[in-house]
Amino acid sequence: VPASDPAVSNDPDAIATVAVASLCRAPVGGYGLGSPDASEPTAWSALALAQSGEAPAARRATDWLAKLQARDGSVGVMADQPDPAWPTALAILAWSAVDGAGYDDRIERGVAWALAQKPWTEERHRVFGHDTTLEGWSWAANTHSWLEPTAFFVRALRGAGYEGHPRTRQAVKLLVDRLLPSGGANYGNTVVLGQELLQHLQPSGIALWALEGETVDDPRLGMSLDYLERAVREPTGVASLCWGVRGLAAHGRDVTGLAAALAEAAPRARRAGGVYKRALVALAAADIVRQAKEQAS
Amino acid sequence: VSETPSIDRRRAMLVGGLAVGGLAAAGLVAPWALRNLGAAPPGVFLAKGQRYDASLEATIRDGLLAVGIDARGLDGRRVLLKPNLVEPSRLRPHMTTHPAMVVAAAEVFRGWGAEVTVGEGPGHVRDTEMALLESGVGEALEDGGLPFADLNYQQVAWRRNRGRFSKLRGLYLPQSVVEADLVVSMPKMKTHHWVGATLSMKNLYGVIPGIKYGWPKNVLHHNGIPQTVADINASLPRLVGIVDGIECMEGDGPILGSPKPMGIVAVGASLPALDATLCRVMGLVPERMEYLALASQRIGPIADGRIEQRGEDWRTLVNPFEVLAEPHLERLRAIGGERVT
Repeated sequence: VPASDPAVSNDPDAIATVAVASLCRAPVGGYGLGSPDASEPTAWSALALAQSGEAPAARRATDWLAKLQARDGSVGVMADQPDPAWPTALAILAWSAVDGAGYDDRIERGVAWALAQKPWTEERHRVFGHDTTLEGWSWAANTHSWLEPTAFFVRALRGAGYEGHPRTRQAVKLLVDRLLPSGGANYGNTVVLGQELLQHLQPSGIALWALEGETVDDPRLGMSLDYLERAVREPTGVASLCWGVRGLAAHGRDVTGLAAALAEAAPRARRAGGVYKRALVALAAADIVRQAKEQAS
Repeated sequence: VSETPSIDRRRAMLVGGLAVGGLAAAGLVAPWALRNLGAAPPGVFLAKGQRYDASLEATIRDGLLAVGIDARGLDGRRVLLKPNLVEPSRLRPHMTTHPAMVVAAAEVFRGWGAEVTVGEGPGHVRDTEMALLESGVGEALEDGGLPFADLNYQQVAWRRNRGRFSKLRGLYLPQSVVEADLVVSMPKMKTHHWVGATLSMKNLYGVIPGIKYGWPKNVLHHNGIPQTVADINASLPRLVGIVDGIECMEGDGPILGSPKPMGIVAVGASLPALDATLCRVMGLVPERMEYLALASQRIGPIADGRIEQRGEDWRTLVNPFEVLAEPHLERLRAIGGERVT
C-alpha cells in the first residue's frame, strides 16, 4: 500500500471516505474476487452509501435488490439463486435506510415473507445447551434458527416498525439464549454434549449489534462485550474486525482506539475485491466517527 | 469376532473398481492400475514417523504413485486441494489441516504440471479470511504463491445427487469444484462427536457452499449426516484423499477434542477404503460407522480384505482414539479383544 494512500491514515473519516468513494463507483457487487454479485454485499454497500449521503449510488444498490425481490417478498442470495432468502432481512434494512417511503411496498412484502417463515424447532434435549424451542430465522428453509440470520431479521423488523412483534421479541430472546456461558457467540450453538463451544468475533459482534437498544438483563451481555474488546485487538479478518467494532459501538463501548486496526484492514478489504468488505469497513469507520463526535461534544 | 459384513466377491470387485474408475475416466490413473481395474482392490498408502518439518512432499508423492495416480495425466489439469478449516483457532492447531501438508501436496501436483488451487468453505465461520489467518494456511499459501478459492461464496451450479442416500435430488456445488479435474480431500484425522470420525469423506462437507446451505450447513444435517456425506462423495467422481494424521484430535472432535500425536500420512484413491483403514488405526470399527457402511454399497470398499495396503501395515499403527462416553460413539469402538477387520 503506498504511504500516500489516505486509507492508511488512522483517521476514521478518511477511511470511510475512501471506502465510500470506491462503493460509489460500483455499488453492486459480491463478496470478493471470483464471487458473483450478491444480495448481502450489495445491501451493506447501500447502507454504507446511504449513511454517507451518497443517495444516487445507494439507490442503484437498492434498486438492484428490488429487482431480485420475488413475488412472495423474498430476496435470494444471488441474482440467479432465489433460494435461500436470508438476505431479505438485509434488503429490508437497505430499503428502509435509502428511501423507506419509496420502497414501502417492498419493505412490507419482505416483512410479510419474514414473518411467514417457520424455522425447525425441537423439544429441549440434554445434548444441546440452547433452547431449541425458540423461533428465530434460519439460513435455509425448514432448518434450525441460527444466530446471524436471526440478528439480521431482528434489526430489519425493528427498522421497519415491528419492534414489538412477538416474532421479534422471541428472536431477541433467542439471541441472548445463544450467547455462550463465558460470553461471546459462535454460529449459534452454545454447549454441545456438555462442552462449551468456541467464541468467534464476527457472530459475537453481529449478535451484539442486533441487541442494540434492547434491555437485556443477563450477565452474558457484559461478558460478551468484554470478550469483544479483547478479541478485536488480536489479528483477524476484515469482516470480523468490522463486526467487532460495530458490536462494541452499539453498546457504547469505546471504539475510537480501533481506528488504527481498521486503517490496517482497509487495504486488505480493497485487495479482496467485491463490495462486501469495503462496505463493512465504511460502516465500522462511520461508527467510530460517530462515537468520536459524541465524545467531543 | 469379525465385523466384516458379508459381501460377495464379484460385487466387492466391482465396488473396488468403481473408485478407481472415476479417476480412470478422467485419465488420472496409472496404466498398471487400469489393467487391474475390476480385478484388484483399491490401494491405501500409509506412512509413519511423519513430521510437519520434514519431507512431506516426498511422502505424498510416493503415496499418490503407490495408489495408482498417473503423474503424466495431471499435466495441465486443474487440481483443487481441499483442507479442513472448519472453525480454525490458533490455540487448537490439531483441529485443522496443517499448512505444511497443503503446501507439500501443492508442490507435488505442481511438479506434475497441474494447475493447483486451494479451496475451502468453512462450515462454522463466515469470515474465511479469519479462518485462513487462524489456521496458518493463508500465510503458507501466500508464501507458496498458491491461489485460494472461498467455496462458500462462489457461483454455484446444480448437480444431480448420484448417491440418493438422502432425499436431496441434487447438490449445489461451487465453481471451483465443478471445474476441477481432480478434488483432493485433505482432512485432519479426528474423532467426530456425531458420526465417530471425520476423515477424507466427511471433509468434503466443506465443498458445499454456505451461501446455499448455511453456517452450519444445516440443510445437510436435516437430510442426515451419514446420508449426505455419502451423497457428496458419490456426486464428486474425481477424488483423491491425502490425510494429515500427524497431529490428530481425539475425544470431543471435530472442534474441542484433545491433541493425539500419530505421525501418519495416508493416501488413497478410494476415499471409503482410505477412511476405513484409518478408522481401524483409530480403534474404531468402520462397518459400524453409518456413512462408511452406506459408501460401501456403491462408492468404494471398506472391508479390510478388499483393500490393498501399501506402505505401512495398519495393524502396526493401531493406537485407539478416545471417544466421548456416548452410546452412539462407544458402539463404534473395537474393544475387549474384538478383532477389527
